[in-house]
Amino acid sequence: MSLDAIQSILSSAVVLGSLYAIMAAGLALTWTTLGIFNFAHGALMMIGAYFAWQIGADAGFGLGVAAGMAIGVAALVGLGVVFERLVIRPFLGSRQVVLITVITTLAAMIFIQNSALLTWGPRMKQMPPVLPQGISVMGISFSAAELLIVIAAPVTLIALWLFLTRTRLGTAVRAVAQNPEAAALMGLNVSRLYSLAFAVSAGLAGFSGILLGSMRFITPTMGVEPLIKALVVVIFGGLGSLGGTIGAAYIIGFLEATSIYFIGLYWTPALLFLVIIVVLVIRPQGLFGKE
Amino acid sequence: MQRRDRTFFALMAAGAAALALLPLIGVDASFRHFLILAFIYAIVASNWDLTLGYGGILNFAHPAFFELGVYGYAIFASTLEVEPWLALLLAGGVAVIAALMIVLPVLRLRGIYVILVTFAFGQICLQIVLSQSQITGGSQGMVLLPGLQLGDWSFARDGRMGYYYATLLLLVLSTIYLRMVVRSSFGRSIQALRDNEYYAISRGISVSRQRILTMAASAVFTGMAGGMYAAYLRVASPEVFGLDFLIIVLSALLLGGTSTILGPVMAAILLAILSEWMMDLGAWRFLILSVLIVGVLRFYPGGLYALIEGLAKWAISGRAAVRRGARSPLK
Repeated sequence: MSLDAIQSILSSAVVLGSLYAIMAAGLALTWTTLGIFNFAHGALMMIGAYFAWQIGADAGFGLGVAAGMAIGVAALVGLGVVFERLVIRPFLGSRQVVLITVITTLAAMIFIQNSALLTWGPRMKQMPPVLPQGISVMGISFSAAELLIVIAAPVTLIALWLFLTRTRLGTAVRAVAQNPEAAALMGLNVSRLYSLAFAVSAGLAGFSGILLGSMRFITPTMGVEPLIKALVVVIFGGLGSLGGTIGAAYIIGFLEATSIYFIGLYWTPALLFLVIIVVLVIRPQGLFGKE
Repeated sequence: MQRRDRTFFALMAAGAAALALLPLIGVDASFRHFLILAFIYAIVASNWDLTLGYGGILNFAHPAFFELGVYGYAIFASTLEVEPWLALLLAGGVAVIAALMIVLPVLRLRGIYVILVTFAFGQICLQIVLSQSQITGGSQGMVLLPGLQLGDWSFARDGRMGYYYATLLLLVLSTIYLRMVVRSSFGRSIQALRDNEYYAISRGISVSRQRILTMAASAVFTGMAGGMYAAYLRVASPEVFGLDFLIIVLSALLLGGTSTILGPVMAAILLAILSEWMMDLGAWRFLILSVLIVGVLRFYPGGLYALIEGLAKWAISGRAAVRRGARSPLK
């Protein structure tokens, strides 16, 4: 195995892992706090990318990439609040909340995808590049968009971790996640904290969508494939903890990159599935999940 | 035969007779085409009811059983040149094998993990179909599949009349089969597991065994419906793996009412008529459908079946039983 091969595998592993980590962190956040799995996460990514394109690209409002990213993420935070109010909250008390919200978020996914199709049409859009050219780190070359993901993912995740562990608000979110009744008795506004958790998750979705959109093309269905990968990550790592999910994201990214290099793009999805089945048979709650 | 069974079979026979007579009073070929697809969707949705509704198994691999039936038929009938009628049966077998494969890793899982794994299974099947293009035709799919025929008479002749009655017959057989499964002691045991798992286990019902059997039982007609779909359209394309198909079948199941069998069947036929009516709306169709799903789950979770049941009771006894559907929870 040559040095080139190792470098190539490592660079794509880091890029994939970083992307999956931001996505899966958003999914894990809503799972741990609200106890729902958001199938519209991929659609939220996609709509974030479209917002950023609309504001940032010359064919849109032409305000520049940075403005597009900032406003795109902000819009997604707002959309997250509305989304939670319409699609999640009415069903939270129900006995079958997990199944019902899977269905309602799937419906929301279809709604968002087709809204994007009606608004922006089926033609692919391309985000203007953030930096003019790529860069080389220790002999491994990254494109500008890839570099942005590799740097932004850990920074975002550390910020999320600091928010959840070091601020009063973040601690409140975790308290609600652990025991909503007790949290309500302590005077926390549970439904507002649910809104907040969902808004943060939607913001993360929008951010990862913008990053993905700057790497690939933007289409109404661009969120489907990453959603499936995020599924694989959360099955693999278990949905229990944020740290476990992020670790799983990088492991899956590495596995995928290695497998694509050695056995090709075609068999990689099947191999990932096989790995998941083996993990589930041994540890049904996921690699890092709790009993 | 109990009264409930009599009502069920009377309703079913009346519906089947009406649908069987429909082509004779003259409906145009394009409407017949929509009804044929509706019958197939109805089979998939009502068989899904066996796992998602009666069994309480959060199984999202069901559309994949259908899709594997489509490709199973295509590979047997076209590549291996098996007699199409036999390929249709084998398509059911392919779906059952797929169900047995996916149920094994799912046995020890609960709640959301069942949904995630079964959902991922469908997507992985799609990836494999796309990547194994020398067998499946990849993203192009497989075309010019052999259709069904009896002697020299092709089912596509006389304005697809053969397919109309063949799919209707399959739907009737599937409905009778589902009703018999649900009312058997096996059917009661899976409902017991759904409603009170620990009590059912304490009465000697094996969770794993019943889960395996439920999944396999729900796949038989689903796979054959896939085979029929492939024989009728004469193509197998990866498009059937899309989320659009999942959402259409799922909405038929939910809007019809879970754990009712006839509800999803009626809803699927109604949805097919609706979607023909909304054909020109394009993407708007899916916007309306998704709002409808969330709205029904929010305000009338009992669905179409509870509405009809309520209306019938109201007509007979004069009491406002219609409101009941608004209260009955999704089982």
